[in-house]
Amino acid sequence: MLLALALVQVTWASRLSIAGAFPNLVLIAVVGITWMQGVRAGLLWGCVGGVLLDLTASGPVGPHALALLSAAYVTSLWARNLERPNAAHAALTAGAGTVVYSVTLVLTDGLLGTPAMDAAVVAQLTFAAAIYNAVLTPFAIEAIRRLRALVPDPEPA
Amino acid sequence: MYGAKSSSRSTGLFLTLCAAMLLLAMLSQQTWAAGARGAAKSALAPLEQAMTSVAARADRIAAIFGDVSALRAENAKLRTADEQERRQIVELQAAAKENAQLRQALDFQKSWGHKLVAADVIGAGPDALTRTIEIDRGTADGVKPGMVVVTGAGLLGRVREAGPHAANVQTLADPLSRVNVYLSKSGLQGTLSGGPAALALDVQHTIGVAVSNGDWVLTSGVGGSYPRGLVIGEIATVTRRDTSTSDLAEVAWVNEPTSVSFVLVIKDFIPS
Repeated sequence: MLLALALVQVTWASRLSIAGAFPNLVLIAVVGITWMQGVRAGLLWGCVGGVLLDLTASGPVGPHALALLSAAYVTSLWARNLERPNAAHAALTAGAGTVVYSVTLVLTDGLLGTPAMDAAVVAQLTFAAAIYNAVLTPFAIEAIRRLRALVPDPEPA
Repeated sequence: MYGAKSSSRSTGLFLTLCAAMLLLAMLSQQTWAAGARGAAKSALAPLEQAMTSVAARADRIAAIFGDVSALRAENAKLRTADEQERRQIVELQAAAKENAQLRQALDFQKSWGHKLVAADVIGAGPDALTRTIEIDRGTADGVKPGMVVVTGAGLLGRVREAGPHAANVQTLADPLSRVNVYLSKSGLQGTLSGGPAALALDVQHTIGVAVSNGDWVLTSGVGGSYPRGLVIGEIATVTRRDTSTSDLAEVAWVNEPTSVSFVLVIKDFIPS
């Protein structure tokens, strides 16, 4: 599923650009998986999704995985402390996750010696992307919930 | 206590995976890993190509309702022809002005005609922080990092990374893109930067000469990263700054990366 989402992201998602940002489907999926299945699943799938995104981008393999790991961890910290999670919280974690994702990417690029981007440009793009992802995440979580309902739980041995 | 143990295990897993990914990034960045990295990245190229074809087919099917497809194709053809003609006119005007100034002084002769390889666009960058595209030509086709990429309308960007059968192109819209340019009418020089909204041009002040709307922006060749004379776009707005040594301008780029499907890679220009 993450492979399909990564491919859709790099082929179709840029056509849905608003204010320079377009939805980060893999990030939304990782946030959704962290909400539904916990931090371990979120971290592991964040690794997989991140490597797939790195394979479609220029530069070394690893920065996007690092960024998704950070987003998944922040999501788990948020979700862990909630008594009654709802769609608004899911949207807010997606927004926060997007900010953490972008900051981690920029910091990692800096650590690896890539020239730094203008801070105002990063802030503008991150803000737009955070709103975009926040709006889409509740729907993604609902879709993951329904997909899980279709798959029967394995019978205990 | 169980909650605390579980939390510390998750944190441990997070830190372990982060360390592993950071190590992977540092190792894959090394020169000796370039071949393996390129081969791994090329592995996804056929899937990206298939997905792009599906997207194009879906566009065509959706456009059947209302015959938008035929109108869009005709519009695109007319726009391409118009852009090509405008590019040729601008290049001829710029070349004529330059030749008149340099012919007696330097006996300078410019030769046109480059070796080109055509490529389809099969994907884009994974997030909004980069403005890159993926093309279906790589080192097996003679494409190398640093090569200039153009369309019929003008300059698109530069090859950043190349695998055996695919390459990643940094477009001019990428926030890290920098191109040295000059203006065709005024002759002023400046530096063009990429960004999410528009291409930003920083033009040095010169006494008696000012930047004006409608002036065409071309590559100057300064720095050796791009050949001289490639069309980039037209000055759209100018912000004069009396307290600075330069003015700011926005450039209407002749290319729109999200709608470009076909590019040309210049093989016989090697950047210095």
